[in-house]
Parts: sequence; structure tokens; C-alpha cells
Amino acid sequence: MRETWVVGAAQNRFGRMNETSREAATRVAMEAILQSGLRPQDIGYTFVSNCLGITEHQGHLGPLINSGLGIPHVPSVSVESACSSSSAGLHEAFVHVAGGFADAALVVGVEKLSHVDTLTATSYFTVGADYPFETKNGATFPGLYATLATAYRKRFPTTPEMFGAVAIKNHANGTRNPHAHFQKEISMENYLSSPVVAWPLRLYDCCPFSDGAAAVVVAAKDVVQRPVTEPLVIRASVRSGSVTDMQDRPDLLGLPAARLAAERAFRQAHLEPKDIDFAEVHDCFTIAEVLALEDLGFFPKGTAAPAALEGTTARDGKLPVNASGGLKAKGHPVAATGAAQVVEVFEQMNGLAHGREVPRAQTALTHNIGATGGSCSVHIFSRR
Amino acid sequence: MVDSMPDAPHSIAEFVKGYEEGGTLRGLRCPSCGLVTATWGLACPRCGHHPLEEHELSTKGTVAAFTILTVPGEEFLNDAPYAYVVVEMDGGGSVTGWMPTVRAENEIAIGDRVRFVTGYKPGVQFAKEPNPSGSG
Repeated sequence: MRETWVVGAAQNRFGRMNETSREAATRVAMEAILQSGLRPQDIGYTFVSNCLGITEHQGHLGPLINSGLGIPHVPSVSVESACSSSSAGLHEAFVHVAGGFADAALVVGVEKLSHVDTLTATSYFTVGADYPFETKNGATFPGLYATLATAYRKRFPTTPEMFGAVAIKNHANGTRNPHAHFQKEISMENYLSSPVVAWPLRLYDCCPFSDGAAAVVVAAKDVVQRPVTEPLVIRASVRSGSVTDMQDRPDLLGLPAARLAAERAFRQAHLEPKDIDFAEVHDCFTIAEVLALEDLGFFPKGTAAPAALEGTTARDGKLPVNASGGLKAKGHPVAATGAAQVVEVFEQMNGLAHGREVPRAQTALTHNIGATGGSCSVHIFSRR
Repeated sequence: MVDSMPDAPHSIAEFVKGYEEGGTLRGLRCPSCGLVTATWGLACPRCGHHPLEEHELSTKGTVAAFTILTVPGEEFLNDAPYAYVVVEMDGGGSVTGWMPTVRAENEIAIGDRVRFVTGYKPGVQFAKEPNPSGSG
């Protein structure tokens, strides 16, 4: 395997896009390529993620993006893995470049849902669940994560404030991220008085529907002569899976796919959880951040809930988590989220995270979940 | 030329028909490792054994996790609030379903006994059983 780097990463401001997914994706892709010092002509393969393009009457987005980048002859493929789509795309890019099938590859994720009403958006989101065995039985996405929350709260001592602190931390981080959908702080009072969506999850436990686009450029070390950015060395690129349905999980106290991916990623990188300086984890709901910290091995089982309240995962804490604002505040444009996590790592390591720098940015981990954990990506990056 | 394929055994439609009409919770059992699942499949999700045996799950079980949905999905718009539950069935296998008569978090707890009932709309529906401890 060739040493493989992330040499460029860019995203737009998450929230509401007036332009189409096609335009936004092409723009961020061009930005990431130019930032990397490469030219579009250097890209050997494009991996495009866009889960809900059907709402824009547009599929087969890859060739359109490539044509817009002036490289219509370059192959592209759509990569769909629900909320973990573009991290799955990154894994495919890694496999192609590390394996010598391409010298450089482009990963793009984009989503737009603001043109449909909330109910329609909720229904589209839910297609990542098991339709006959979950959705038809009354489930929603917040509902499925809420069942994980009640199981956790029953087994381990927690307070609502512990979950509120996750939301408050990520909102505070979002105020320092110009890419973030939400750039306002919330208080514990705001949190505790927000309406219940799926008990015990309140509105402020949930990430928003966002529009957004993000792109990552991956290249082999030996073909990048003089990197113009501080490249991220991809130390581990791991995907894993699990039974999709809650009714088939051996336990409800974590996501088995995340545990598996983390274990393999640390082995691949020859690193341990204590070696990670900061992490971007999949906090689609506050309970998801708590479970992620345990599944990834940063905290023993049952002990991560107080982390945000105690400041451990704050931007200046022992393990900064979601310095970008996370899905909670930066936003969650489904297929763009995995690539956007890498944008945060790239900006932190390139001195571009102005005003939200983490104290030490040498080694970072990204954790991206597909739906309720049927799939998971874990990546580990280091500076050279 | 045939117009359509014959019905395959172990179809999802059969599972759903059981929820709607038959009052049965159809499932599958792995003859190799003994896993019982209420989710359709051709091989065991735990050990990979193929094929699986048809297996009817018990209609009674214990709540392992729940939520009260105040913001429902599209097909349950007129039913909220309602409970959505993960139930460990007696004799093996877990099933997720909804409980239209449970409308607040203080009306249900993990450990509560519930039974599968045939609902007025598609989907697995549960109702509360008398609590053996008499507290519920």
C-alpha cells in the first residue's frame, strides 16, 4: 500500500443552499482541488455521495460534476451509505490511491432538502431505517436513537444535564465555525425547555436537517511533489457493518459497527485511543456522541455521559470532541457529513480553524455512522 | 414466459401478513446457533448458517427499551403521541413495535410486560400486560 494523504478539503456554509446540489458540489470540489495544488486533470477517480438527489430529480451526479470540473472523461461512481456516505467515499478513494489504481481521487458529498417540507424531509431521512420492520412499525430516526437513550439511562446513572451539556458544547463550538449551520449558543435552560421530539430526546438533542456540500482530495505521497498544504496522512481507513435493526442487536448500549471499526482502525494505525488529540464524532443526537466516545474506546462503557458536563470533551479539554460544532451545530447534510468531518481535521491541522483551534492537532479521528449503525466509517489522520 | 415470479418462501409479505391478519409474529430460527430473529433474511446474522427455519415467536415479552414519539413518521401522523418499543419476547427474539395506548413516559418502563396484538393498521402493535409485581 502507498502512503496516502488528504491534500485538500473544502465545504460550503451548511444550512440552506439556494443553488442545486450539482452546483454546490462542483464548487466545493473545485475549491478543494485548487487548494491542494493539484489540477482537476490530476484526478483519476471521483466518488460522489448524494443520498436524496431524487428530491431534485437528479441522479448520476458524478459525470455532471466531473464535466463541470472540465474532466468529463474521468470515471465516477455514486457511493451511498446513508449518513456515512461520503466517509464511505473517502474509504473508496483511499483504497484506489493506496492500492495504486489512481494517483489522486476526489470525494464529494452533497445534500439539499430545504426545498421540501419538514414532514417530507423526515420521511426521506427515515429511508435509512428498515422500512417493513422499523418504519412501518412506527419508528422515526429520533425514535430509534431514543430507544438507545432509554436503554442507556436505565443501565447507567445519568442526568438530563449530561446530555444537555453535549448540545451546549457543540453549539458553543459552532459559534466559532463560519461553516456551521447554527452559530448561536444555547443555555441549559434553553435545552431543558425545548420540546420533546422522542422522549427523552428534546429538540436540542437532535441535529438539524441541513443543506451542504463538502469535498476531499486524496493523493499518493509519491505523486505529490511539493505539497502546498499540510497534508493529512491517512493512518487508518476502516469501514464496518452491523445488523441494521434494533431488534437484532445483541445489546442496545452502543453501536456494534462502531466498536468493530474502531478496533480495526486503531490496529491499522498502530495507535491507541490515548494517542488521539481530537475527534469529530457522529452526534446526530446527543446520545450518539456519548455512545461514540465509548464505542471508540475513549471512555469505558457507561462512563462517557458526564464528559461534556465536566469539560473533558470541550475544545480546550483533554479530548476535544466536535470542535467544528458537530452534526448538532455545524449541521447534517446527510451525504456531505463524512467529508465535512475531514474538512474540520484538515482546517485544524492547517491552522485554518481560526478561533476554534484545539490545543494539540497532530493526530485526529473521525467517526461517521450510517443511519442507526448499520454501517460505520472510522478514519485516523496524522500530520507528517 | 411467466408474468411474475412465484412467491418465495420466507417472504417479507408473509411476515407483515402475520402482523395484520394472523395475530402471529413470524420469525426465523437458526438451527445451528439457535438465534431467533423477527427480521427477514436467508442466513443467520450471527453465525452465517443457511438456511433458517420458520419460527413463530411468542406473543408475550418484556420491554427492553422505549420512546414516546411526539413527532411521528408520515404514516403515524394521527397517532402521536405513542410509544415505540423494543421488546424481548419470551423464548427468544426481539421485536420492535408501537403502542397506541401508551402516550406518556410515565405510563411505561423498561421491564414492563407487553403482548403482541393485531392492530388496526399495518405494523407490529403491543399492549400492556398486567405487571406481575402489581406496581404497574
